[in-house]
Amino acid sequence: MGSAYLAAYNLSLFAAWGLILGLTVRVAIMEGGSSADVYKAVDLPLKVAQSAAFLEIVHSALGIVRSPLFITTTQVFSRLWILWGIVVPVLQPCLAGSVGIPGTPPLAHLGFTTLMLAWASSEVIRYSFFGLKELGAVPYVSMWLRYSGFIVLYPVGVASELTMVWLAMPTISKTRMWSIHMPNAANFAVDYTIVCWIVVLLYLPGLPKLYMYMLTQRGKVLAGDAKSKQQ
Amino acid sequence: MAPFKLAIQSRSGRVIASLDVSGDEAVMEVKKRLHATGKVPHPCRQRLTLLPPPGEKRGRVLDDDKPLSEYGLADGSAILFKDLGPQIGYATVFFWEYFGPMVVYPLFLLFPQIFYPWNKAPVQHSLVQQVACAYWVFHYAKRIAETYLVHRFGHATMPIFNLFKNCSYYWGFAAFVSYFANHPLYSPPADLQWKLAFALAMACQISNFYCHIILANLRAPGDKGYKIPRGFLFNYITCANYSAEIWGWALFAIGTQCLPALLFMLAGAGQMAIWAAAKHARLRKIFDGKDGREKYPRRWIMLPPFF
Repeated sequence: MGSAYLAAYNLSLFAAWGLILGLTVRVAIMEGGSSADVYKAVDLPLKVAQSAAFLEIVHSALGIVRSPLFITTTQVFSRLWILWGIVVPVLQPCLAGSVGIPGTPPLAHLGFTTLMLAWASSEVIRYSFFGLKELGAVPYVSMWLRYSGFIVLYPVGVASELTMVWLAMPTISKTRMWSIHMPNAANFAVDYTIVCWIVVLLYLPGLPKLYMYMLTQRGKVLAGDAKSKQQ
Repeated sequence: MAPFKLAIQSRSGRVIASLDVSGDEAVMEVKKRLHATGKVPHPCRQRLTLLPPPGEKRGRVLDDDKPLSEYGLADGSAILFKDLGPQIGYATVFFWEYFGPMVVYPLFLLFPQIFYPWNKAPVQHSLVQQVACAYWVFHYAKRIAETYLVHRFGHATMPIFNLFKNCSYYWGFAAFVSYFANHPLYSPPADLQWKLAFALAMACQISNFYCHIILANLRAPGDKGYKIPRGFLFNYITCANYSAEIWGWALFAIGTQCLPALLFMLAGAGQMAIWAAAKHARLRKIFDGKDGREKYPRRWIMLPPFF
């Protein structure tokens, strides 16, 4: 029963992210569209698919899935924060800007388009792998992609996420967005700019830790598979 | 009692040492002898357990003061050794985790030019802010005094990592609460509110102190058994000391009307609730009313009327 639910969950999200990836490739690569064009195309499926990932924390907490709760929570929260805490509230600066070496083609610059390419590629690989796992048989290609894709996709994804924060920061601090100021009755203050800085500082140990986790998983899984093939 | 051979092995099955022991030898003696072999760290880093019974993860822990005969070990028996890692004295950790807040909190009151550098105007602190600071410092001075004069610790040491973890919690929250309570833009609550709140909070501190005295007197020196706490609030609440502590901080939050103080109270209450539930369950398990033992009376755990 749980298995059927998980298969359905993984396959639905595979479809959603597949759509996002397809739209991004069509708009940005085939039609030469800008980040703003990409966003217009993927707006709704992105919000639905990324928000649905919250369920993965629930799956991990309930033990339906074997992933570690802390890692799952940090991964999902960082995605939700980037989408709902940075891009959506500060949309124009995030879509208009990019970070890259001058003179290189626009697609080689970090921005919303690279964010979509990285996120969507990672999720398509991840959800197809887990969906096939629930259905019983995982072809080697899927497993190889699952445990190798991250090597490039993680750094590109994180770099794109940090680029979004970089582009949004001036607006966040100028408009004092989502902040509580003193004096007030609760004698408390929150400055969203500082919150963003703190989260970025947490990224620094976070990425190597997650990267190492995936690398050790890769070693175990691909070596284990090679051994069972030899037998 | 006839001496016999005892094997001490690691979790992986490797035999670390083999000693000739006798049944009336205390576990602590065995630990000292193990340490003397040079292969095993200091006794306070050693945890010795019986082999786990089938189906269970951990075997029974050997108590330092008990003789080996208590554990039914015979010639050729094996026990397991675990290295608990570098240890630090309980009192040492308590001192540093309480000393920090005692010193950190007043800093924000005394040096606003450092902590609120954007504020150019001279800071005038209201009476409630000064009272809050005095209360906070008194609270932690009291805790340090209790550490050395009142508390009887069940264990001598804890892992050294706890020093960093505990100090981060206490020092961090001290800075968090103090930053806002001593902020140049702090708004004091009504006079009646803070005077009443702090008076009641002081009463809670005194109650908490009295609870600690009762707990310390439960055991005679050297006595390791569990006793049913009695007297004062303990007649109604298992962990009355935690209750008084939590009410005290709740009143501090009301008296300062400062959200960070409330968050501090909630964090502490959450942790204490976990400890209290465990203590209550343990006492109910031991005092089950059978074999001549008392039955643990019906009491709240920590926070009547809910818990």
